[in-house]
Formats: sequence, structure tokens, C-alpha cells
Amino acid sequence: MGNKKILIVDDDPDVRQGMYLRLKANHYDAIFAADGLTGMSEARKHGPDLIILDLGLPAGDGFVVMERLKTFPSLAVIPIIVVSGRSGQVNRQRAISAGATAFLEKPVDNAELLAVVRRALGEAAQPENPAG
Amino acid sequence: MKETALQVLLVEDNAGDARLLREMFSKERPDSFELTHILRMSEAVAHLAKGGVDIILLDMGLPDGHGLDTVRRAHAAAPGVPLIVITGLDDEALVAEAMKEGAQDYLIKGQIENRALPRALRHAIERHRMQTETDLIRTQQMEFKDEFLSHVSHELRSPLTAIYQFVTILLDGLAGEVSLEQQEYLGIVLRNIKQLQSMINDLLEVTRVQAGKMSIDLQCTSISDAITYTVNTLQGAATAKGITLTSEMERPLPSVCADPTRVRQILIILVDNAIKFTPTNGTVKVQARMFDADPNFLVVTIIDSGCGISPNMTERIFERLFQTSDPALAGRRGLGLGLYIGKELAKRQGGQLWAKSAPGRGAEFLVTLPVFSLPNLIAPALKREGLREGPLTLVVTEIASQTGWLSDEVRAGQSQGVRDILQGCVQSDLDIVLPKMGSAGATELFFILAITDKIGGAAIAKRIRERLDACQPVQQAGLNATTSYRQIETIKRNGSESMRDFVEKVAAQIQELMNEEISSRMVVNG
Repeated sequence: MGNKKILIVDDDPDVRQGMYLRLKANHYDAIFAADGLTGMSEARKHGPDLIILDLGLPAGDGFVVMERLKTFPSLAVIPIIVVSGRSGQVNRQRAISAGATAFLEKPVDNAELLAVVRRALGEAAQPENPAG
Repeated sequence: MKETALQVLLVEDNAGDARLLREMFSKERPDSFELTHILRMSEAVAHLAKGGVDIILLDMGLPDGHGLDTVRRAHAAAPGVPLIVITGLDDEALVAEAMKEGAQDYLIKGQIENRALPRALRHAIERHRMQTETDLIRTQQMEFKDEFLSHVSHELRSPLTAIYQFVTILLDGLAGEVSLEQQEYLGIVLRNIKQLQSMINDLLEVTRVQAGKMSIDLQCTSISDAITYTVNTLQGAATAKGITLTSEMERPLPSVCADPTRVRQILIILVDNAIKFTPTNGTVKVQARMFDADPNFLVVTIIDSGCGISPNMTERIFERLFQTSDPALAGRRGLGLGLYIGKELAKRQGGQLWAKSAPGRGAEFLVTLPVFSLPNLIAPALKREGLREGPLTLVVTEIASQTGWLSDEVRAGQSQGVRDILQGCVQSDLDIVLPKMGSAGATELFFILAITDKIGGAAIAKRIRERLDACQPVQQAGLNATTSYRQIETIKRNGSESMRDFVEKVAAQIQELMNEEISSRMVVNG
């Protein structure tokens, strides 16, 4: 069985790369997009197992992306973890209402991110070892 | 520039006084003032409600209103209109009070000079305009500051994320082997990242407090869980400093009516603070017990063996941006917002937070929270109805995930929306949507106490089903909502039974039913 594929949509290249290295160390494959529009086309092209989504994005923010994904039956089922610099109950509720599985505030603790990723992918909980 | 006539409302019941005042106006240019004379407070309030008044001249002794009460009523009826009080007495204390209630100026009967009246009116209006303008500017500045802080804090989080990610990548050896010395230095970087992160969070929290946007979801909350969580979370930090961190709880402790996240937040702030101010080999103890001064409250005390606080500082430490002057802590200070946030959080949940200390004897922080009481929650409804016996129905709505796993995120995200829908399905002055009663395995349960029989209960359940089935967020999140109802066995209030005993009897029965509902789901879901 191949590694699970995760799409990272974030406009900050450093954050994308940092997340990629962390996920790779834990045996996930990662693909990227820097804006909402590319995020949607990458999702359609690759059909990832999970999407990690920022909210503040150029060319269609995170909410728009979630709304669009819902219109494709094959993509609507992909779990989405929102990882955002935005905080507060309002954003959290809005994201969950829009269909996000989880809402994490930046900077996200590595162990927490991996735990949420595993749960969203329906993987059995493993002993915490963020270094992979 | 042509001035439009100033609309003056004179409220004065004494015909002689009114005539004198009128005459003073008659010496002015006819198009500069237009006077409306009213004799009663009630009519004045009605007239003000219509609008169009530029200034009020108000006698403080009217047949249907007296003293400060007249000022309050006039000000309430037209808060934006400047007001001058007219009094027969040279009573400075009363006048000062009137000014506090919103009056711009005062005139004493028999001591008003001819030309002084119009001048006083113009000045009052001008002062009022300037005051309004200043208030507006201040509000705008506050809003700008809040927005600015919120924006800056959010923007800081992206670079901070990248720094955190790469420092931990190095530390975890994902980019090659790290020497012990390098590990130590990266550890220092990481510690400072955490500190910066908590400062940003504090800034955002304060912005929310001040904008009144702090969300608090009151529910039946276990204080022992919150204490255990806090002690576990901070045990590492305490051990690293050689401090013994313990907890001590009176058993059995009742639950509190509070937001569990916010309670944890308060305790973390206080225990973290205690650890910071306690030297090596010291102790920090968290105690919870009933509050002696008021049995409706529970008190959590955080006691440390640190340097203590001088008595004149026990209040000041809760001020925003308060900084300790202790040189030993100069490098490790935060923004001085933690205790301020903690106090605000306690207040918003109906509790209090304060400190007791003697220098050299350690500090004691006390936080009270209201005890969760089902009788207190249902008492108003039962009393209002003067209920002596049923019918009472318990409506139960269950939200479950189709996948069988309901994350805390989804729980928190959906809870308020579902609660709002339930509230819209009941008679708000009669039925009670009860706060969350505890966790029920993989589902989220909502309870409504409806003052109605089976048929009424069925109608409420039907309304809830229809509304939740049509609720987009619930459907989009892939959740199943089911609603059932059960009539509570007829409860009679005996002739001799006090209302209080009756309420407690009903509450006990409701509690039993809810426990049944909760535990049946715990079994099913393992």
C-alpha cells in the first residue's frame, strides 16, 4: 500500500516546506498549492486523501475552496484540516460549518498536527512520535 | 450662514416660572429659538420620543417626576439631546448628581439673568456637540487599535509557524545529526518561540475581551477534570524548575456552571504564574472546595511558596500591562496581560478572581465559580407557572456522526448552532433548553425541559426534527440528528411541601432521566 497523499494549501512557501518535511518524515506524500484556485485544481488532479488548508489565501480563500470542493461528489468526501493564523470562535465555527474536520491555530504543535491528521485519515492512534 | 431656529423643549409646571423664561426668549431674534412648553414629565417623554428637540430645559420638581428621576427619564428618552436643569434651590450636591446623570448645565430660578439664558443654551449645545465628537473619536480610535492589534497578531503567526517548524525539524534530527550543544541552543530558540506565541495569544485575547467578543459557552463542568488537566499540562514546567506541583480536592465536589475551556485557561494562567514566581525547591498547590462565604460557589485556590505580593499590590497585579519590578524576573516577563485576562474570564462566568498575600509568605490566588444547580435552573419556570403537578416532558436531541467519531472540533463548532435552533423550537418564556450536561460518548446530547404533556412534547420534537433536517451546517458536516421525548412521571406538590422542596424533587427526577439517557449511549459506544 502506498503512502497517503496530503494536499497542503498555504500561501507561505516556508510554512509549506516545513509542513512537507514533517509529513514526509511521518511517511506521507505531500503536494502543494499556494492559492485557492490552484488548490482546487490540484485536488481534482490528484484526489488527495486529506487537505490541509489555510484560510487567508489569494485567489479564493479557504472558505471558497471548501465550498467549491463540496460541489464535486468525489472531492466532497476528502477530510479537510484548517490550519490558520486566524483564530477565535467565529472563524472556528465558520470553518467547521463549512465542512472542516478540524480547526488548528498557527503555529500548530507537531504532535497535535500529526494526531489530527491520523484521526482524520482514520488511522489507528499511534504512540506520539512527531519526529517520525 | 442662516441659522435654523433651535428647538427648545421647556418642561415646567409652574406657570409663573414658565412665563418668566418665555419672556427671556422673547428678547432674542424671533427666528433663533422655537419654544415648546410642556407641563408634565410623561408628556415630555412622549414629545422627546418623536425627536426634533435640540435642547431640554427641565424643572426638577414636576407633578409626575421629582429630582434626579426626572433627569434620568429625560436623558433615557433622548440620550443624544443636551439637557439643562432648572432648580428652585441652590443645592450643589443635587446639581452635581444631575450633571452626573447627563445634565450639561443648571440654572437657579430667580437668579437667571436676562441674556444669560440663550447664551447658556448655546453653550450647552456646543459643549454637548464637542463631547459627542470626542466620544466618537475615542470609539473610532479604540476600534482602530483593536483591528490593528488583531491584524498584526494574526500576521505574526505565519513567520512564527515557519520558525517553529524548522527549529523542530533541526531538533528532531530530520536534517541530520545535531550535537548536544546545538540541541541546547535550539531548545533556547524553541522556548522563546513558545513565549512569543503566548504573547501573541494574550494580545488577541485582550483584543477580544475589550471588543466584547470573548465567547463563553456555559455548561455543566467538572472542576476536578480542569484541575487534573492543568496539573498534568504544567507538571513538566514545574519539575524542570524543581518545584513540587500538587492538587488537593475536597470530595465529592459538585460541578460548576462554566465553560470548560475557559476554566482550564484561568487555571493555566494562575498555575503558570505561580511556577514563575516560586524559587527552586518550592511548592505550588491547587486546592478546590466549597466556598465558605457562599454555598452557591466553589473556590479554587492556588497557593505558592514564592516571594509573595505586598498587600498594596494585590489589586494592581490584575491591571492590564502590569509588570513585576522583580529584577530576577526581568528577562522572563510576559506582556502583563495574563492575570487581567484571568480576572475577566472569571467575571464573565459569574465568578471572581483575587489574590491574598503577605510578603515572604507566598501568594494565594482564589477563583470562585458558580456551582451548577439544576434546581436553580428550573425553579423560575416552575415558580412562574405556579406548578403543583406535571405535565413535564423531557425532549432529547442527539447529534451523532455518520462515521461514528465526533471530534471536539465538530462538537464545539456545531453546539451553538444546534442550541440556537432548539431555542427557536420552544416557547422561550416557558421551556428551558438546558446547558450541556456532560459528555455522552461519541454523541452530543441536548436536553429540553418542556412544561407540557406528551402531545406538546411530540410537537416540539417534530419541529426540532424538521429544523435540524433542513439545517445546512449539520447536514454538511455529515451529522445525524435524532430527537425523542419522554414524559416525566406525574409529580405532585404536596400541600405542606415548600416550593423549594418541590423544585428539588422535580430536579432530581429530571437528573435521573438525563443520566439514563447519557449512560445508555456510553454503553452503546463502548
